[in-house]
Amino acid sequence: MVSLDTPPQAPPPERRSGRLRAVLRGFGEGLITLGLVVLLFVFYEVQVTSWFSARQQADATQRLRDRWREVSPEARAPDPIPGRGFARLYVPALGSGFPFTVLEGTDQETLAAGPGHYTGTALPGERGNFALAGHRSGRMAPFGDLDRLDSCDAVVVETATEWYVYRVLPLRDEAADWDPETAPERCAGAAPIGGPYREVFGRSIVEPQRREVIHPVPGVPRGTVPEQWRSRLITLTTCHPRYSAEKRMIVHGVLTKRYPKVAERPDLRPPELDG
Amino acid sequence: MYAWIWRQLPGPLAVRAVTALLLVVGVIALLLFVIFPAVEPLLPFGDPTLE
Repeated sequence: MVSLDTPPQAPPPERRSGRLRAVLRGFGEGLITLGLVVLLFVFYEVQVTSWFSARQQADATQRLRDRWREVSPEARAPDPIPGRGFARLYVPALGSGFPFTVLEGTDQETLAAGPGHYTGTALPGERGNFALAGHRSGRMAPFGDLDRLDSCDAVVVETATEWYVYRVLPLRDEAADWDPETAPERCAGAAPIGGPYREVFGRSIVEPQRREVIHPVPGVPRGTVPEQWRSRLITLTTCHPRYSAEKRMIVHGVLTKRYPKVAERPDLRPPELDG
Repeated sequence: MYAWIWRQLPGPLAVRAVTALLLVVGVIALLLFVIFPAVEPLLPFGDPTLE
């Protein structure tokens, strides 16, 4: 018979070690859970954000097409509206993924939908610097493979009224002994520009604070070079290295050709798109 | 922790298994669609623009 008036005592040793085991197991399970959550976050960053972005990009593209239908190619291209698409970007050398609809603005929300245009920089085809930012990883990573771009690769911009063919400028190690005579035919018009542009190369890695790379003449204070002496550049900026925001990769190109759109022949496309 | 949750689930084995699965899916969805998007801007990667 069990006596009911024995005072409560410390649990027997085997119960105590059982509790310790439960605590340790809970701690271990917590760590495993944390590890799984971190893995899930990586999956989110790289993949899930791209799914969200694909949808936003498709929306932006659809709205752009609707808008362009109302614009006659003979008219002037309408001004960009913040957060909305206004141009299409083709980079044949990077293949799949392109073209992307380019939106106006570089806030995070806009960039989640596709490459964004630094407000206040030149518009496609204008003198100065048509500057764009795009994600290197996640969110469809429109500029994920910018490091694979070579000098003279075509970067084509389509607006409501025109096609602009930019080509990546010679890289730093090529520029010094660049000979337009012996350069491949596709490099026509993409030789080093010289003058105030002598430090402008096809690709460079800079600190995030180096905003002067998107100045009308990259690296030169605004207003130093009069407008009529400026070249027509394109600049693409993205994170570097991939999965980090420590530095920025900058790609500069120069306008080499333009083709007006023809209202009766909407199917006409620049030959540069095919390689 | 997981053993404790499992013990709290009501019903026969099959029902418990389905409930557990739903719980896991729910937690993943909560992380992917609510928590990660909220936390992400606080983390130091992904900004491709110049400052």
